[in-house]
Amino acid sequence: MSAPGHAPADAFFLDTADGQRFCLYHAAVGDCRGALVYVHPFAEEMNRSRRMAALQARALAAQGIAVLLLDLHGCGDSAGDFGDASWDSWLRDIAQARAWLEQRTGRTAGLWGLRLGALLAVCHAQRAPVPPARLLLWQPVTIGSGYLNQFLRLRLAGELLAGGSDSGGTDALREALKAGEALEIAGYALSPALAGGIDGADARALAPRCPIDWCEVVAAPERPLPPAAARVVDTWRLQGSRVNVHLAAGPQFWAAPETIDCPNLIAASSAALMNHADA
Amino acid sequence: MKYLEEVKTLLTDVLNLGPAGASLTADSPLLGSLPELDSMAVVTLIGALDEQFGIAIDDDDISASTFATLGSLAAFVEERAA
Repeated sequence: MSAPGHAPADAFFLDTADGQRFCLYHAAVGDCRGALVYVHPFAEEMNRSRRMAALQARALAAQGIAVLLLDLHGCGDSAGDFGDASWDSWLRDIAQARAWLEQRTGRTAGLWGLRLGALLAVCHAQRAPVPPARLLLWQPVTIGSGYLNQFLRLRLAGELLAGGSDSGGTDALREALKAGEALEIAGYALSPALAGGIDGADARALAPRCPIDWCEVVAAPERPLPPAAARVVDTWRLQGSRVNVHLAAGPQFWAAPETIDCPNLIAASSAALMNHADA
Repeated sequence: MKYLEEVKTLLTDVLNLGPAGASLTADSPLLGSLPELDSMAVVTLIGALDEQFGIAIDDDDISASTFATLGSLAAFVEERAA
């Protein structure tokens, strides 16, 4: 048995007013020159991207950036039920995790988020009294309502694969949520409160007041940033934000049933943070 | 069929089929035959079709007839992209 080529992460539970949150802390190797809290994506995408999150956290720690991987309320190994989580409870978790990391490292922490986790990170940056040091966004969801629609469609797709449909489309599912009914989708209990929070989240509302590295995974090297993402980047730049866009050719690992890596994304992210004197 | 090759490439990318994707033909069955095509993949594929071909996809299009074969999916794209 050989020793792993990286330092092990410290696993612990962070006590918050809302309950215990499972965390994995990757301490910076050598001098700490930055700190990031990782915000995972939604539902099954979280499980499918665990390996990439771990690989990136190790790579960043090796270049002197401390990383805290956080399991949000009701997700992973954290306390609470997914069905009781809300957008606001997740934002509180992020603030608490950031406070812990800042106390630990003595630095203003940034946030790194994947998919819906990136939208959560943006919402934190829009509201936090002290903005995060930076945002590292991986394939960010920019409009919550569109993402909610996709999630509701998972139920339609599941019914299609099972050979029959009975939920009557996303409009009917939205009506059920509006009437206060929780929905069971792909094994997750979606509460009206959480659905409402996702539905109302919009990255375009306010440009984050910190430097942003926007990483988009594309199918082939010559592909451009998709138009919807480009529009948000333009909007933020017009509002005065510094946004660096990085394109990484590779698979959409967060949606892939097989565990699959996207080394170009890790390389692009590590390079982006290496370039900042103070990450 | 106008969009067959483009849809095949997209499907291969989204499902990470690799070299196996190249052997797909218009008659290749998709739904229920490709293990990679789970519910998340169907939704991801819809998002990718929307993005690449600029076609709006309705809930009603998430049907067995659309996703039956590579040919039926390409025909759907051709109809909507027209």
